Amino acid sequence: MMQDLAKRSRSITSLRDFLELLGDAGQAITWSERVMPEPDVRNIAVAASRDANGAPAIVFDNIAGYPGKRTAVGVHGSWDNIALLLGRPKGTTIRELFFEIAGRWGDAAAQISTVPEGQAPVHECRIESGINLYDVLPVYRINEFDGGFYLGKASVASRDPEDPDNFGKQNVGIYRLQLQGPDSFTLMTIPSHDMGKQIMAAERTGLPLKIAVMLGNHPGLAVFAATPIGYEESEYSYASAMMGAPIRLTRSGNGIDILADSEIVIEAEMQLGERVLEGPFGEFPGSYSGVRKAPIFKVTAISHRKNPIFENIYIGRGWTEHDTLIGLHTSAPIYAQLRQNFPEVTAVNALYQHGLTGIISVKNRMAGFAKTVALRALSTPHGVMYLKNLIMVDADVDPFDLNQVMWALSTRTRADDIIVLPNMPAVPIDPSAVVPGKGHRLIIDATSYLPPDPVGEAHLVTPPTGPDIDELSKKIRAMQLGAVQ
Amino acid sequence: MSKTVCPRCATGGALDDYQGKEGGKVVWTIHRCPTCCFSWRDSEPASAIGIGTRSADFAVDAANFDRYVKILQQ
Repeated sequence: MMQDLAKRSRSITSLRDFLELLGDAGQAITWSERVMPEPDVRNIAVAASRDANGAPAIVFDNIAGYPGKRTAVGVHGSWDNIALLLGRPKGTTIRELFFEIAGRWGDAAAQISTVPEGQAPVHECRIESGINLYDVLPVYRINEFDGGFYLGKASVASRDPEDPDNFGKQNVGIYRLQLQGPDSFTLMTIPSHDMGKQIMAAERTGLPLKIAVMLGNHPGLAVFAATPIGYEESEYSYASAMMGAPIRLTRSGNGIDILADSEIVIEAEMQLGERVLEGPFGEFPGSYSGVRKAPIFKVTAISHRKNPIFENIYIGRGWTEHDTLIGLHTSAPIYAQLRQNFPEVTAVNALYQHGLTGIISVKNRMAGFAKTVALRALSTPHGVMYLKNLIMVDADVDPFDLNQVMWALSTRTRADDIIVLPNMPAVPIDPSAVVPGKGHRLIIDATSYLPPDPVGEAHLVTPPTGPDIDELSKKIRAMQLGAVQ
Repeated sequence: MSKTVCPRCATGGALDDYQGKEGGKVVWTIHRCPTCCFSWRDSEPASAIGIGTRSADFAVDAANFDRYVKILQQ
């Protein structure tokens, strides 16, 4: 059974493959009851997000005004869906998924194959004139006060305008895109992101910047392309290595390497120096971004499969698909970076709002050691801007089990021993910020005290733990499910 | 210039970008404001697109565009 799942996971080449796999496992449903684009699609996506463990992907095929068109949400919207993507069974714990991903780090080679353009499914249908994005995309307003209709799960591929032949310097990243009329859209990024660097380079040199926007992609790319890797590393290679499976590429009409099996690819060129109003957009902290002047791109062509599926995401106040999509890939790099210096770190849970709150389990090397580890976490690449609240727990506490974390907070925290670091850098869209971009950090040491600290008189209960108990827990659940059937 | 008024910046002249149709009948229209770049569908709830019923917190001041920051400046 486990081997079959792993084999099937590695055979996925497209969103369609994955939806079929999810459907077979009871993790995808088709919503054929007629819905309005607003507010119904949002309402249903939010309702599904309440079940972070088991929510299915939902494919809408009867949206008012969009006859014959399909929209998918929640493809990465639950831990069960992530487990199936990684070749693990439903019911795999978050902790097990975390170690599945952490264990794949750097242990496999990329397998990239190339499909001739004429044979690539993505090019089955081609639009080069009379372009109207609304003809192809059954869009809807994701959050009520978004400034327009957004593509929230688009993987954007581009070449370095100053080194266009370099495969590794191609960038693939997820950026939010706002439709700006039938053949234009804005793209939001910041100078430190790869796309931000390429936009600034194009405008500095006057060189054209062409991009390909991929929608409805290989589900591994959405997970792994969101991981910050080096500028000269290819996201395609990285995704292939992490999936342990080949990635099929082809060329877009404007000369960019794209996934051969994506549902829809929009080719576009940046309008150098132009900016138009973009936003607001309901972002991952559960607050709206502001309105800003953002770069605008003009669409030059659209390719799509026959009867394409438009994949989108609900993002807003958590829990949402965004949290499941990027949570483990926010946590795993911090874990790997901490372990380089501190092998006592046993797990990192940075699932909450892209790591605005993180929980780290560590075996104290000496009294106060967890605080040292916390300070190191703040200086990791992600920690610099995002890790706002850190909870440090002992190695015998599973940071992915919030009941255990609350036990540690309840029984091991001394309120006069928390740390507040004032006026630190912070991610600008944190809604608690008084001044966006600055804020305070909080470290709660909920690990045990060791001499020379006074340790008190209490002796802890040591209930049975470990893999045997984990298996018993799963067996009880399976027996319960079996009894129902 | 169309008479359709933008529910976000209260400027007239909105464009019609697309009409959703079923059996040849128009079921909704997507409008776009060329002034503040707001796009909306005329079938959306009044709390999102109604002039006077939409939250003022999300209004855009068409007379004061300088307040909106330009991203990615050299």
